[in-house]
Amino acid sequence: MADDGETATVKEPLDLIRLSLDERIYVKLRGERELRGRLHAYDQHLNMILGEVEETLTTVEIDDETYEEIIKTQKRVIPFLFVRGDGIILVSPPLRS
Amino acid sequence: MLFFSLFKTLVGKEVTVELKNDLCISGALHSVDQYLNIKLTNTRVHNEQKYPHMMSVRNCFIRGSVVRYVHLPPGAVDVEVLHDATRREARGG
Amino acid sequence: MADAGTPMTTGVSKTPAEFLKAIKGKAVLVKLNSGVDYRGILACLDGYMNIAMEQTEEYVNGQLKNKYGDAFIRGNNVLYISAINKSAS
Repeated sequence: MADDGETATVKEPLDLIRLSLDERIYVKLRGERELRGRLHAYDQHLNMILGEVEETLTTVEIDDETYEEIIKTQKRVIPFLFVRGDGIILVSPPLRS
Repeated sequence: MLFFSLFKTLVGKEVTVELKNDLCISGALHSVDQYLNIKLTNTRVHNEQKYPHMMSVRNCFIRGSVVRYVHLPPGAVDVEVLHDATRREARGG
Repeated sequence: MADAGTPMTTGVSKTPAEFLKAIKGKAVLVKLNSGVDYRGILACLDGYMNIAMEQTEEYVNGQLKNKYGDAFIRGNNVLYISAINKSAS
């Protein structure tokens, strides 16, 4: 784990992000948005750069007649994306073995 | 300072800024400051029908706090250099 | 600061900082401003209330929606952190 002199221990929450550098991560954002992409850079605000990102946008519509909730998801792929940290709710790294 | 430095290296490049109100503006990155406020030149708004008031806007200043995403040109940044800079930033605090 | 030799349970911690220290490694419930709940093991947290959790389960309107092996929660979204009394639940 500690391949290049970095410790694999999690002493503070940001260590979890540090250990995910160059890994594919899941990011949950405000506004029902989710991202999956490779983490190339981040800072203490959780501003990030992700590569080969898939964004999923979830919207709920109400059917005019039945009043049923219709959940729709839109996906798009963005090759190289800067994400502002203030919109981030949760980050989940890939499962560590 | 990592992203401020990074955006400075992208001055002159074509980027797309997506705002938190869903407005999407493409243009050449003119300048950036420490708050990641951004100036764009030669701008074009996506979905102009929805935002007709933006039709004649050719230059703009965007407050950093209203930005959701910035779509960057792939290949404009060396990801290995980014990883190293990020590790240095993480160590520095 | 609590004496190192004193076993501190969450019930007797006197300050918020002592409480947070006492629940590290324990099962917790984290509620966000949005109302979403996260249940899992608190790995650590920092001064911004950024949280690292393990074996995290995400509950939306009381329904389990997702599971994460590890999860980082950005502190500004946190409404409260509550210790889960395992024997009670």
